[in-house]
Amino acid sequence: MSSFSRSAQQWATFARSWFLIDARVQPPGKIATMCAVRLQGKHKPIYHALSDCGDHVVVINTKHIAFSGNKWEQKVYSSHTGYPGGFKQVTATQLHQKDPKAIVKLAVYGMLPRNLHRRTMMQRLHIFPDDELPDDIRANLTEELPQPREIPRKLSEYTQEEIDAFPRLWTPPEDYKMK
Amino acid sequence: MAARSMLRSVWTSIAGLKLGVTGTNVKVQQRINVFQLPTLTIQSRGIRQVVEKQEGKTTTIEGEILNIAAGPQPPNPTAKCPIYRWNLQHKYNYTDVLLLSQFIRSDGGLLPRRITGLCPEEHRKIAMCVQMAHRAGLLPDHKPKLPEGHVPKRPKPQLNRYLTRWSIDSVKPIYKTGLKWCKKRMAVGHPVLKDNVCYGVKPLYTKH
Repeated sequence: MSSFSRSAQQWATFARSWFLIDARVQPPGKIATMCAVRLQGKHKPIYHALSDCGDHVVVINTKHIAFSGNKWEQKVYSSHTGYPGGFKQVTATQLHQKDPKAIVKLAVYGMLPRNLHRRTMMQRLHIFPDDELPDDIRANLTEELPQPREIPRKLSEYTQEEIDAFPRLWTPPEDYKMK
Repeated sequence: MAARSMLRSVWTSIAGLKLGVTGTNVKVQQRINVFQLPTLTIQSRGIRQVVEKQEGKTTTIEGEILNIAAGPQPPNPTAKCPIYRWNLQHKYNYTDVLLLSQFIRSDGGLLPRRITGLCPEEHRKIAMCVQMAHRAGLLPDHKPKLPEGHVPKRPKPQLNRYLTRWSIDSVKPIYKTGLKWCKKRMAVGHPVLKDNVCYGVKPLYTKH
């Protein structure tokens, strides 16, 4: 802002902000791209790979993440313990049951650049399965980011007026016993 | 006696054809077809309401044809399929629950095509959208009735999902996805909806 003093402008440009993302009913891939962009600092015009300009990102409600399609059953997360016979393959459902934070964490990890900064950026990512945040993190939050996916409304969430305002597309024949 | 008086009242109501709902002290029974009336004689499209009137010692049971307001006229009345009549051909999705709920029964099943009057392609599209809406949990009140005292063996994991093409139990995990040129993609949405209007720049991806 042009009205800031020099020191205030300096602070506003280079300070590390804390972003909040609510992952309720959101696809984890889209959440992860938003996190990765902000952890690297690519949303800032002063970005440089060496200048450590990334911000903190807090993701909440990862327990309620939503996959499109049949990915809960089809997507497989593989790992190897290093020992022979240690190749483990787990579906997204099983992984989510074991650890609700793992899916988002792995998604963000895979989207960050493969260099030594990746581990520091992962340390700046804070994932919580529920709404509950520790007080010190809650005190640091500066901005909440809008959710990437529009949540569709359930039929029970529509008011009776809206349901009545929608025109009937077809009329049932008189002698048909409805429903 | 009651049957004869009912038939007479039905004939008089047809002659007049405009009968508003009378009085407030009338006991109304919603749409009970007491017996099969000859359909050749009765050509009206109104919904019949069985009305019982108590006048001292005589009880009159009347089948009144309600004059329901016609509602807004469809922009294309000459088309055969209701979706084409309202010009909604390529414009609906699994999220349009208000539209989809008009074609389903109370336990979630689709109504037959000969009753709704849909053309076969639209019937299939509506069927897929209804399936996707059920799996996304957008129709919570249209679940099938479970028998009394039914206890599920294992508690099912409550996972949020959307645009699910296949049924949950029928899908196997993809253990080997393959190389880039022969990757086994995961299906999202349904190809039946690929002709839908896309207002954004990005096309609709069915294979993720």
